Amino acid sequence: MGKIVSIHSFRGGTGKSNAAANLAAQAALRGKRVGVVDTDIQSPGIHVLFGLDETNMGATLNDFLHGKCEIEDVAFSVGEKAADGEGRKKLAGKDLWLIPSSIRGREISRVIREGYDVNRLNEGLQNLIEKKKLDYLFIDTHPGLNEETLLSIAISDILLVILRPDNQDFQGTAVTVDIARSLDVTNLLLMVNKAVPNKYDYNDLKQQIEESYKAPLTGILPLNFDIADNASKDLFSLRFPDHPWSRELVKVAEAILAVE
Amino acid sequence: MNGEIIRLKKAFMFQGLPDEALKVLAQKITRQRLKKDEVLFRRGDSAQALFIIEEGEVKIVREDENGGELALNRCGAGETIGEMSLFDREPRSASVVAAAPTHVLELKREAFFELLNQHPDVAVSLIRSLSSRLRFASAYIQTATEWSKKIAEGDYSFMEQNQPEALTDEDKAEQMLFEFFKMAKGVKEREESLERQVQKLTLVIDEAKRRQEVEELTSAEFYSQLKTQAQKIRAQRRDRS
Repeated sequence: MGKIVSIHSFRGGTGKSNAAANLAAQAALRGKRVGVVDTDIQSPGIHVLFGLDETNMGATLNDFLHGKCEIEDVAFSVGEKAADGEGRKKLAGKDLWLIPSSIRGREISRVIREGYDVNRLNEGLQNLIEKKKLDYLFIDTHPGLNEETLLSIAISDILLVILRPDNQDFQGTAVTVDIARSLDVTNLLLMVNKAVPNKYDYNDLKQQIEESYKAPLTGILPLNFDIADNASKDLFSLRFPDHPWSRELVKVAEAILAVE
Repeated sequence: MNGEIIRLKKAFMFQGLPDEALKVLAQKITRQRLKKDEVLFRRGDSAQALFIIEEGEVKIVREDENGGELALNRCGAGETIGEMSLFDREPRSASVVAAAPTHVLELKREAFFELLNQHPDVAVSLIRSLSSRLRFASAYIQTATEWSKKIAEGDYSFMEQNQPEALTDEDKAEQMLFEFFKMAKGVKEREESLERQVQKLTLVIDEAKRRQEVEELTSAEFYSQLKTQAQKIRAQRRDRS
């Protein structure tokens, strides 16, 4: 049975989508069958990293949620169709599917207005796992703890919470961790992103975080201006595998893959 | 009188002077005794005489703004100091301090120029000594510049290659660079201590606020439904697999 891995952060701007896309790519690179779902329907973004824009985006998660198509019609094969960027081309022939959210304003506002049937989403994700025989399904969640997000957290086999090294994120992560435990999430992992190199004693911080949240901190990823230079249009860890950010990300990916 | 002439002959500047000339000179020279650390003259003093070290050793030093002392050179028996100011009429360029109990011979400006007029050999000897000091300064500047460049680049590898104990007597410039070396060591240590001073970030969580937010979420009507729903979905997944 494929595992559902939710990538979450309490606040926006933690680099969640970038991490989700790169983690999924690292898993696919290691021969796993992987799906990535953008459930951040209000502010979709992960598609860009896989080379999709309004000109080449086909059916979306919104179409599925509104009953216009089946989930497998939405699954976009990155290994077949988007192995074009310098980093992405390493995914050629790999089993990686993206379920993008619509980037059309009208459809985004419809979801915000009407919400969506979380049961249908769940049913779709289960079908996707079965039809594509996925080992891992990565869910890029919407930040915060709204109802839809809580359900993706609740059905996760693995929850990765991303935080920045600042007190606002420490506080929000504390609430997220408590809620995840209350929802019986068994595998809770943490990842720090946007850590300014050499600013803090990160070994000490790791100890504090693990003690406080009682969960393993799987990687401390540096604040990375090169990601911005990369214009978020390629998978950074594939394009620059020797960069410190990529090396830490790989540690996180390996921690996810190590969960039984 | 003979003893005095023999002593004067030990001064490099006077070597090759006939005894007659030394006799005349002996009358114009006065002797000073310096205790260790006693100052012979200070940088900026006006210059009326040159000195010949008869016995002992002196340091040529520059004081920095913090009152610290940077030794530029050391001179021992037979060497002449302070003649530069007599030629260019500028104030003393550095201070001279006795590094050990020292005897110096003082030769006043008028007597010095009179000597030069009568014995051009003395001038040649002086030029030789000045040339050697110039070479010393060039070597000093060259090495100091190379090291400064490396420090600016954060490269302290030269410190391992140039342990001060290992500097040879032959290269006086390198010996003097010991002072520079101490400075570089200070810079390196300060840089390392700054690197160590990475801040400790203390993880602060407002526990009351945390409890309140968790309570608000978990007591909401949808929450218990959601929990039941999640349990159902998990059970379904287990069944289907």
